[in-house]
Amino acid sequence: MDLGRRIASRLEAATFERIAGVGLENAALNRPRIERSILELADVPLGEGDSAIVIGAGPSLHRRDSVARLRKSRYTGTIVAVDSALGACLRGGVVPHLVVSVDPQRERILRWFGRPALAAAPAEDYLRRLELDPTLATNEVAANRALIALVDAHGPRMRAAVATAAAPAVVARCEAAGIAMYWWNPMYDDYDAPDSVSRRLYEANGLPCLNGGGNVGTAAWVIAHAVLAKRRIGLVGIDFGYPPGTPYERTQYYPELREMFGERYAEAFIPVESPFVAEQWFTDPAYYWFRNVFLDMAQTADATTVNCTEGGVLHGPAVPLARLEDFLATVDGRE
Amino acid sequence: MKEFLKGNYKLKNVVKETAASEPSSTDEFEKKALSRLGGSICFVSKKGFLWKGEDRKADGSRQTDR
Repeated sequence: MDLGRRIASRLEAATFERIAGVGLENAALNRPRIERSILELADVPLGEGDSAIVIGAGPSLHRRDSVARLRKSRYTGTIVAVDSALGACLRGGVVPHLVVSVDPQRERILRWFGRPALAAAPAEDYLRRLELDPTLATNEVAANRALIALVDAHGPRMRAAVATAAAPAVVARCEAAGIAMYWWNPMYDDYDAPDSVSRRLYEANGLPCLNGGGNVGTAAWVIAHAVLAKRRIGLVGIDFGYPPGTPYERTQYYPELREMFGERYAEAFIPVESPFVAEQWFTDPAYYWFRNVFLDMAQTADATTVNCTEGGVLHGPAVPLARLEDFLATVDGRE
Repeated sequence: MKEFLKGNYKLKNVVKETAASEPSSTDEFEKKALSRLGGSICFVSKKGFLWKGEDRKADGSRQTDR
């Protein structure tokens, strides 16, 4: 087994080590703001019918113009967006019913909602380096200001499914924008195990624990079927990889891989076919793990999942591929 | 091993024994990588999608306990 796959196979435990500490700290800080459980969303009207579109922020989202095409379709089902795709959705005229935020990181995630105190482009090049939201990367201050206005304007029409691990600054931003928050705990470990962190957290705040699959996109998909009870789910912008030709330095984990492996860093990347576009994409250990976990989880989900991303590396027997319009034509009585 | 094996001759050169537990460079790389890489939320294998506590263990739409 090559280096990248070996690392990917061990990321379940590593993720716990990486985020449990700060996630639990954030849960304690967020406690006074917790008013509603995510389970209450089952009674909230969020779109028509039993279908949902889950929107991630992978490069295909803008390469395939997915948001504009979704808007043009006049889709009336449920739209669930990850936080990093919120800007693309609002700029494209699509107001998601639900936005999902998970990451306990205390600085970057706030940018997806517009960071009120941003007076100058930060030294960190995270947004400029990645293809998650190219608009935010071009003129960071002006784009941030525009995003603040959009989120404030549409906030009262949206709901947020917020993990207790989320950064308190993100929570404060949602509150200020009038986004109603519905809370849940990330499932950190086996709740049947002795001294389970998940169980202790549940006993402390009474919120359900959600198995998040390693990333916010998978968590949003879990919410769509396990909480909102949607039975037909289309994915857009869920790539878990990079298009051919993407420079390694513009991948998410490049700084860490470069620092750890030096000149060997390229060995950690994994080529994967992207059959919809007949291209060979590539992925890194973390995204490869996300992909494998998603494909595993999809086998037992009580929902049909169709990947309408039109790119990326997520495909398998339980996650067939389709053009976005073809999927939309099959849902909510459009056949 | 040298506490178990004894020879009836003496070596001219001193042989340095490699510690059995010493990690290879690849192991060391991976150990470092694992502490830096990973997701923004855990995945717990062989568990369901949603756990609502003991009182409401039937967790939503999940049909199998993963």
